[in-house]
Amino acid sequence: MDMLDLSLAELHQALVEKKTTPLELTKEAIARAKANSDNAFEYINEEGALAFAATLTEPEADNPLWGIPYVAKDNFSTKGIPTTASSNILNGYVPVFDATVIQKLKDAKAVMIAKATMDELAMGGTGTTGHLGITYNPYDPSHQHEIGGSSCGSAVSVADGIVPFALGSDTGDSVRKPASFAGLVGTKPTWGRISRYGLFPFAPSLDHVGYFTRDVYSAAVLLDVLAGRDENDSTSSTRPVEKYESKMNEPIAGKKIAVIQEIYDSLADETLLKAFNHSLDVLKEQGAIIDFVSMDSTLLESLYPTYMVISCAEATSNDANLDGIKFGPYRGGKTYQEVMFNARNEGFSELIKRRFVIGSYCLMRENQEELFLRAQRNRAKIVESVNAILKDHDAIYLAAAPSVAPRFDQSSDRLSDEYLMADNHLCLGNFAGLPSITLPLGFENGLPLGVNFMTGAFQETLLFQLAAAFERASGLAELSVRNPKEGNL
Amino acid sequence: MNFEAVIGLEIHVQQKTKSKMFSSAPNGFSRDPNTQVAPLDMAFPGTMPVVNKQAVINAIRVANALHMTIDHTLYFDRKNYFYSDLPKGFQITQQARPIGKNGYVYVEVPGGKKRIGIERIHMEEDTCKQEHFMDYTLMDYNRAGVPLCEIVSLPEISNGTEAREYAEAIRNIVVYTGTSDGKMEEGSLRCDTNVSIRPYGQKEFGTKVEIKNINSFKNIELAIDYEIARQSRLLLSGEKVRQETRRWDEGSGKTVLMRVKTDAVDYKYFCEPNIPPIHLSDDFVQNAIDTCPELYDAKKERYLAMGLSRSDAEIILSDPKMAAYFEAGVPFVQNAKDLANYLIVEVNTYLNKEGVAIQDFALSPKTLGEIITGQEKDGLSHKQCVDILNYVLANSVSPKEAKEALHIVAQVSDSNVILKFVTDVLDQNPKSIADYKAGNQRVLGFLVGQVMKASHGKVNPAEVSKTLQEEIKKR
Repeated sequence: MDMLDLSLAELHQALVEKKTTPLELTKEAIARAKANSDNAFEYINEEGALAFAATLTEPEADNPLWGIPYVAKDNFSTKGIPTTASSNILNGYVPVFDATVIQKLKDAKAVMIAKATMDELAMGGTGTTGHLGITYNPYDPSHQHEIGGSSCGSAVSVADGIVPFALGSDTGDSVRKPASFAGLVGTKPTWGRISRYGLFPFAPSLDHVGYFTRDVYSAAVLLDVLAGRDENDSTSSTRPVEKYESKMNEPIAGKKIAVIQEIYDSLADETLLKAFNHSLDVLKEQGAIIDFVSMDSTLLESLYPTYMVISCAEATSNDANLDGIKFGPYRGGKTYQEVMFNARNEGFSELIKRRFVIGSYCLMRENQEELFLRAQRNRAKIVESVNAILKDHDAIYLAAAPSVAPRFDQSSDRLSDEYLMADNHLCLGNFAGLPSITLPLGFENGLPLGVNFMTGAFQETLLFQLAAAFERASGLAELSVRNPKEGNL
Repeated sequence: MNFEAVIGLEIHVQQKTKSKMFSSAPNGFSRDPNTQVAPLDMAFPGTMPVVNKQAVINAIRVANALHMTIDHTLYFDRKNYFYSDLPKGFQITQQARPIGKNGYVYVEVPGGKKRIGIERIHMEEDTCKQEHFMDYTLMDYNRAGVPLCEIVSLPEISNGTEAREYAEAIRNIVVYTGTSDGKMEEGSLRCDTNVSIRPYGQKEFGTKVEIKNINSFKNIELAIDYEIARQSRLLLSGEKVRQETRRWDEGSGKTVLMRVKTDAVDYKYFCEPNIPPIHLSDDFVQNAIDTCPELYDAKKERYLAMGLSRSDAEIILSDPKMAAYFEAGVPFVQNAKDLANYLIVEVNTYLNKEGVAIQDFALSPKTLGEIITGQEKDGLSHKQCVDILNYVLANSVSPKEAKEALHIVAQVSDSNVILKFVTDVLDQNPKSIADYKAGNQRVLGFLVGQVMKASHGKVNPAEVSKTLQEEIKKR
């Protein structure tokens, strides 16, 4: 087994003991990135990463990220490194500043080896809409199945063992859904816990910085580094940062865990149901109290439309800066309107333009009340229901997705009659801004299945405590394509 | 038929904070284009707005001076529209919840004061500055993101004079709260006006015309009065007033059509998701008010109490830097009015001639006070003091050195001293006495000159002349 297949904690130990060096790790990670055939990268930062890694010669024993290679989704602003958010409209754009999380990881001396592909501008959940084309699931060498999105390339990077962690962003489920399809730990903390400064906005009221790891411990120590108030992000929280891994080894006896009945009932996949039920038994064996609770099914059915209205409305405004004048390709035009029209018409894909039209339509004066404001009010109702459940429970526990990763010929971005609550519930965590983590549950035909825990606001330490207990039970820590496991559930 | 005009003003005030409304870029005037720019000002992807605290404090002070209800929670909204001067594609403003509502200000009208209601004051950010040429446009992002306050009056203004006085009252408030330079000529105070007319007695408003591009307070008055006359002519000749935006053309003294308004633009307002509602504590708001610099009206009252005339007080107050200089100088003179006179006449003449601003005036208020005191209590004449002032300015010396260099001494008005000089001169000039008595008045001037010469100019020439006439009569 190569060094890169060690856990983050083991890798850190190896670095401290000088069994390997950041430069060696970086070289290995870059080699693996180049060998990968899933279309996971926008840009491999070979020169920059090697140069930075070469400066890291004195191991820092108390810094678990020292010398660790990682990958960032291509919607994080990286100074001097091309950043396109997988959209043609940003081809050639080289940011002038680092996102706060990129700066924090730089300060922690983690080595960014690449920028990862994504659904264009983070809109979409299939990993198929970026300007470089489809990103594939490394668990399926025949390239028939999605990895999910929008943080598709980041998911591939960790699932294929290229890096121990990768940054993503999560507006609806863009980290936690692909984590489920890729057998990974996918984390999104409370809204405001990690600064969004430098994250290209999709829908700021829903946007979160999230990340992929292969175990819960890595997820917790990463949050130790990434969390905290940032004067550049007015929405970042002033709450003190905790030692998020501090309760990982504590038992979960007595913890009250809610399963939402309506979402559970919408599960049809038998393998998944069996494994999920098994996991409930295992949690009970550890002393957790499982409660099936009810939530208004009308509200649950409204999740996706509510999400579409709010996210598209915000997106149409956020991306208005990409106008072919300051940003985006200049395609000429007689008037400023023509310049903008030509640049945007060529720069955005059909799917993006459709979302902008939806967003604009919802914000129009004559439609605002009926669409945008109604969606906002509905969001408030949804948040109220979720918080009501969490008032009496430590966490909500559900299957992260209704199945393994869908085949490309089954997926669509369009609304259809076939609506699955189980496919859309992760955005509860975005509406309410609550910490949420996806973990691998098991497999079906060689493809991963996942579950998700969600706790109350700023209860990340509790979230990792529950997740760690689950991980011990599942036996699926350190899962990757290069490190296959069967698991216990 | 007689018409009544209904006028409302929207005033945009550029704040002179150290940094911009939502970014840390410096906020300053007349530097090189595109040098005072942070990534946010050009809408680099991933940048986020952070509210400027001083801009909030300024807005609170202005709102308070305008007797407004202050909202203790700040909300911001996005105003979305595509235009080349708008870097983000939206402007961050306060649409739904302005920081101040329901205020008023008084203006002078014939026979008393009139209260003009103010609907709202809100904070927002300026756009970038564009310069259009034949086939290209230059963009200067230095102005993008500069904090603005927008103050919207109720349609309670009745004519151009009231409108000008209203705008001047707003100017005085924003200048003396330290919020803005309030200079229309430089664009730090901009005024859009809405004018409609209706027959007296009619309840419904007439069709509203907006006038833009007014670049001075005087032109507010002229533009509105022109527009009222124009609309009246249209209605009297049976035509309709169109809803349109017009531009004030200073050269021709007319308003000129810019564009006919169709449906109002839909700005698709929604709450700014990157700025959470900000609660302002009672202490914060009260402290902003308590630490507000003294306002124009209060200063004016105080100046009048010092003995300044209304017009002198207004002249001093027309420039806050002049007012500051005046206040710094008051402790060094006997009478504030003397200082005001010197500032308004001699100092202003000098400043205008040299093209220097009062804040760059070479004399400290203390030094100027020292010169003025020469007139007030040391017996020097006004002319002597002006000579000293000019000599000090020209040669960068102290007033004392100037006085010595100019051989200026205090005039003696003591009648015994004067009498001695007069007696001596008369004794030496019997012929002149005879000539004077024979009717040659001009001899008196010669005799005064002789006395001044003998006394080395120390005596008061008016006193000398009087004494000479009396003494000649006695001989």
